[in-house]
Amino acid sequence: MKIMTCPLNGPRPVSEFFYWGELRPMPNPATASDDAWADYVFNRNGAPGLKKEWWCHTPSNTWFIAERDTEKDVVLKTYFYEGDQ
Amino acid sequence: MMRLPATRGEWIDRSRPVEFKFEGQTYKGYAGDTISSALWGAGVRVLGRSFKYHRPRGVLSLANHDVNALHQWADKPNVRADVTPLVAGMDLTAVNTFGSLADDKGRFLGKLSAVLPVGFYYKAFHSKRLFPMWERMFRAMTGLGKVDLKSPHKHTPKAYDFCDVLVIGAGPSGLSAALAAAAQGADVTVVDENAQAGGSAGYQLGNDNGRRQQHAELLAKVAAEPRIRVLTGTYAAGYYKDHWIPLVSAERMLKMRAGSVVVASGAFEQPAVFHNNDLPGIMLASAAQRLAYRYGVKPMDKAVLLTANVDGYRAALDLLALGTAIAAVVDLRANPGKAEPLAHLLRQSGVEVLSGHCIVEGVPGSTGLCAGARVAALRADGTPAAQTRDIPCDGILMSTGWAPAANLLYQATTRMRFDRAVEQFVPDVLPDGVFACGRVNGVFELERKLADGTRAGSHAAAAAGFGSASGVALPPESESPSHPWPIIDHPAGKNFVDFDEDLQFKDFCNAVQEGFDNIELLKRFSTNGMGPSQGKHSNMNGLRILARLTGKEPQQVGTTTARPFFHPVPMSILAGRGFHPERRTPLHSRHDALGAKWMPAGVWQRPEYYQLAGKSRLDCIRGEALAVRNGVGLIDVGTLGKLEVIGPQAAEFLERVYTSNYANLKVGMTRYAVMCDESGVIIDDGVVARLADDHFYFTTTTSGAATIYRELSRLNTMWRLDCGIVNHTGAFAAVNLAGPKSREVLRSLTGLDLSAAAFPYLAVREGEVAGIPARLMRVGFVGEWGYEIHVPASHGGALWDALMKAGASQGIRPFGVEAQRLLRLEKGHIIISQDTDGLTTPLEVGMEWALKMNKPFFVGQRSLVAVSHKPRKQQLVGISFPANHEGPVPLECNLVIEGGDIAGRVTSIAWSPTLKHHIGLAFVRPDLAKPGHTVSIRLTGGSMVQAQVSATPFYDPDNLKQKEAA
Amino acid sequence: MSTNLAVSPVADIATLPDPAAQKAAVANLGIADQSLTPRHGCKGPGAAAWLESFGLPIPPQPNSWLPVDGGGLIARLGFTEFLVEGPATLIARLASTPRSAGVYPVLRQDVALLLGGARLDELLRQTCNVNFRPLDLAARPVVLTSMVGVGVTVIPELRNGQPAVRIWGDGSYGHYLWETLLDIAVELGGGAVAPHSFN
Repeated sequence: MKIMTCPLNGPRPVSEFFYWGELRPMPNPATASDDAWADYVFNRNGAPGLKKEWWCHTPSNTWFIAERDTEKDVVLKTYFYEGDQ
Repeated sequence: MMRLPATRGEWIDRSRPVEFKFEGQTYKGYAGDTISSALWGAGVRVLGRSFKYHRPRGVLSLANHDVNALHQWADKPNVRADVTPLVAGMDLTAVNTFGSLADDKGRFLGKLSAVLPVGFYYKAFHSKRLFPMWERMFRAMTGLGKVDLKSPHKHTPKAYDFCDVLVIGAGPSGLSAALAAAAQGADVTVVDENAQAGGSAGYQLGNDNGRRQQHAELLAKVAAEPRIRVLTGTYAAGYYKDHWIPLVSAERMLKMRAGSVVVASGAFEQPAVFHNNDLPGIMLASAAQRLAYRYGVKPMDKAVLLTANVDGYRAALDLLALGTAIAAVVDLRANPGKAEPLAHLLRQSGVEVLSGHCIVEGVPGSTGLCAGARVAALRADGTPAAQTRDIPCDGILMSTGWAPAANLLYQATTRMRFDRAVEQFVPDVLPDGVFACGRVNGVFELERKLADGTRAGSHAAAAAGFGSASGVALPPESESPSHPWPIIDHPAGKNFVDFDEDLQFKDFCNAVQEGFDNIELLKRFSTNGMGPSQGKHSNMNGLRILARLTGKEPQQVGTTTARPFFHPVPMSILAGRGFHPERRTPLHSRHDALGAKWMPAGVWQRPEYYQLAGKSRLDCIRGEALAVRNGVGLIDVGTLGKLEVIGPQAAEFLERVYTSNYANLKVGMTRYAVMCDESGVIIDDGVVARLADDHFYFTTTTSGAATIYRELSRLNTMWRLDCGIVNHTGAFAAVNLAGPKSREVLRSLTGLDLSAAAFPYLAVREGEVAGIPARLMRVGFVGEWGYEIHVPASHGGALWDALMKAGASQGIRPFGVEAQRLLRLEKGHIIISQDTDGLTTPLEVGMEWALKMNKPFFVGQRSLVAVSHKPRKQQLVGISFPANHEGPVPLECNLVIEGGDIAGRVTSIAWSPTLKHHIGLAFVRPDLAKPGHTVSIRLTGGSMVQAQVSATPFYDPDNLKQKEAA
Repeated sequence: MSTNLAVSPVADIATLPDPAAQKAAVANLGIADQSLTPRHGCKGPGAAAWLESFGLPIPPQPNSWLPVDGGGLIARLGFTEFLVEGPATLIARLASTPRSAGVYPVLRQDVALLLGGARLDELLRQTCNVNFRPLDLAARPVVLTSMVGVGVTVIPELRNGQPAVRIWGDGSYGHYLWETLLDIAVELGGGAVAPHSFN
């Protein structure tokens, strides 16, 4: 089983974590076209490579960002969202 | 008897004889024997039959690859005789025989080999017409041991484990790696599938006392090192990411997490390929050495040894010293090379050494056992000369080469390269934290293995954070331990490459000729390496054959994928102890006492209904519903998600996550709440109660509780609003006291003013009920006057008891989930994920009223704007059936059909005991949604039934039940 | 609140064998229910300061704990959440004091267990994928992890020289946790004991 490192609780088996998905900035709902909005809501980039993702350490409900290289299958770093603690 | 005099270090305990049965016959072995060693020691030569041709087979490897010696032991199928410890009283039979091992009716299949060509299965099944016949035949004829479906469940508690350095393989390189790693301060676990540590150092001795001494000293050093833990009888079954290795023993699986890993798994000795190379008595040289040194069993009286490396000469010296006559050493090479000094010793003992020769055939005796070796000189082109010579012997030893036991290295994504210097694949680029040493690393000579182990151990310790890495990779061996082509073609075939599947040399030629000339295709077409030993003795020769036939280098041919598990793992070990978390409300034992029938609701258990003696399920459910309609009922709703949001921006937070307005919700009031995802699809609903300006208490669906809390936490991690979210789901017990008499029941237990003016519909109050601090909400989910009462979980039981007692005179009745579903259906209230699915927006379920589209933002709002401009595809409506409806009614999910097309589906349906007819909810096309319209619904059997679209609520449409006058 | 009505989430199953059996069990692996110990929880940016105003020591590191005067402990769960166990009067004061800005009360209705004995490590390794062995008990660590599939808070400690752990989990998992852990404890020669058996 893989190891994920929670910035608060340290390295733990990945079964202690919930994976949310890629961190993707939301377009301004007031100005985005229907197409741009639909692209944001429905389309995901599945190509392997560097990903910034939301992960949650579930026993402590700790959300953080993991940067992963999904091509090499390595976690590069994990940190709190914008200095959140 | 074939037992040798006792030797130092042997694994058997001669003071403890063990009696057992094989094929109905009683034999004796010793404690420490394997089944095969005991049988061989008792003179038994046929241990099983081959899979395809049912040929008699004996010992081949004695290293967990003898898959023709699989035995049935009571309810245990496919026990590997070559490695399974002998147990007193074992009653064994060979698998895969028709009749008995000695008189196997399947023998005739060997004669049919000409009509059973490679790829036979595929060809047979190609014809659709004949498929059923072939299937019946193959099912009857194939398959190994018998599974006993009645065998009891065995408890094999899996456990996690941890170490700094895990060394896989307790041979000389592995043990020296362990010593080096421990010397740098690491805690080391060494794992080895054999019953004792030492590996080849314990039996590849060449009758050399110096080697014996070295072996003993190595074991003593390891035993004296407190940082080293040796797990024998345990194998590393696979490699998983981040050094996660399942270690499997006879009893259990340990899930080992290591800081770093040293793979010192050695090499599998490989058979030579010649006609009749499978006769009982023909075995790998290392198998004979293991038999002799570990189990004190004489492998044969007189042997011919086929070799192409120095290991073979050592084996000859070992066996000679232990009393086996060596009729000849047949070396495929032009000269003994580095083995010349050993060859000299052999010649001195009168052993004939035939360089540049090969074995063309094993010669069977009248009993089908090995009776001789037909030997020929090798011509310049590598083929045998026509002139042959038969050398009588009762066994042939094969020592022509090795294949690395690199399975775990491959699984760890090691890049391997084929090294011509050693004629094998060796690690080229290893992943971080994984190290290799010894034979799997292409290092064969004992002193070099020890040095290679020391290097790997030091590097592994450093990688795990202990000390600094020292030592560099050794230069390659000066002489290859493996022959590049230990294969002799023969017109009569039966020169086996894969003993699991009875694949002969010509099968490969035919497969390539038919176009399966890629290693992966060849494997699947020929089934090479697909038997129980998974190619451990056949993949290397298969690869060599393919390379030669296609004119490629082995590197270009490559290998097939090595997947877990390394050996088959019993299902009982894999299953272990299952963990199935289950949540219970504090009222669980109350429900039990009342005869609750349980149903799972996510991780929770909830009462479906309460069984009354002599009543049917439906009668119980309908009775409970009527009790609520006409008197008072009590339901446990403690499984609802219960969250709080507190802080100056709590209202702002709820405005963003729910579709309605909450900023304008008055303190002391509640409001229904719908939550959407970003695509505007409904994901949850509940009730939001405002306890104070900056304090909201709200519920979620039972199944949504954990995920909604998690997602809300994430959202506020982004939004950083000045408020905090607290999950109180398990901390509060909650019940719904509902029915026209609910107020009377509650009045006796609380000082709260329960008048409609003081505590109106949809209000929330905090107060005491039966002396317990409580939050009370006047909700209307089931359509009657009622109170949802939330108290600390530790007081849930007391609350329930007080309410049941106070309600006894009113005929209070507990009701379950099914009655609640019926009651809410009568009120037309939807259940998220029953009456909605993963595509349903609030617009389709008549919840426009809950959407405050003029808010600045809520999750899903922008998508709903887009959706609202598009034509709607479906609408949730009520459907009803006349009271005199006869015959079946639809089931949930039955389809609405219009003009031959699907035009919707039923989401809920039930017979209403209040209305006395069937009612339901259904999605229909918007043009069919008008009340009064008749829709056709297709029943499960295919017949159609008509229902009328009806306005909802079906019951109390004006909500009079919530008003004082009612 | 009429605390006399409070019931442990495992009240109906956490029955104790006779004292001799408890004594035998506790040497290997005892499991005790402490769910009714008075406890208070709160979280939020103002929680630390608020607790400090009651004279409570604040663990300086996330996921660590400190002892509380008069018995008990204060555990810091992550950065801004706290769990306090202590004298009933203190807990009652905390519970009855109105919350102040940035303090969000957390109603703690945990199943709280105490496990200890010579074979504790074996139980932990069967139930939890965190290696407790290298933890420095002097640093008073708090471990938030998953045990038999349930989120738990764990404090490892020594009781009478034997390894022990305190475990807090959601009370609704109480039955499941107790039955699963007791099952394993019994296999390891242990069993249910009263909390004072560890003293």
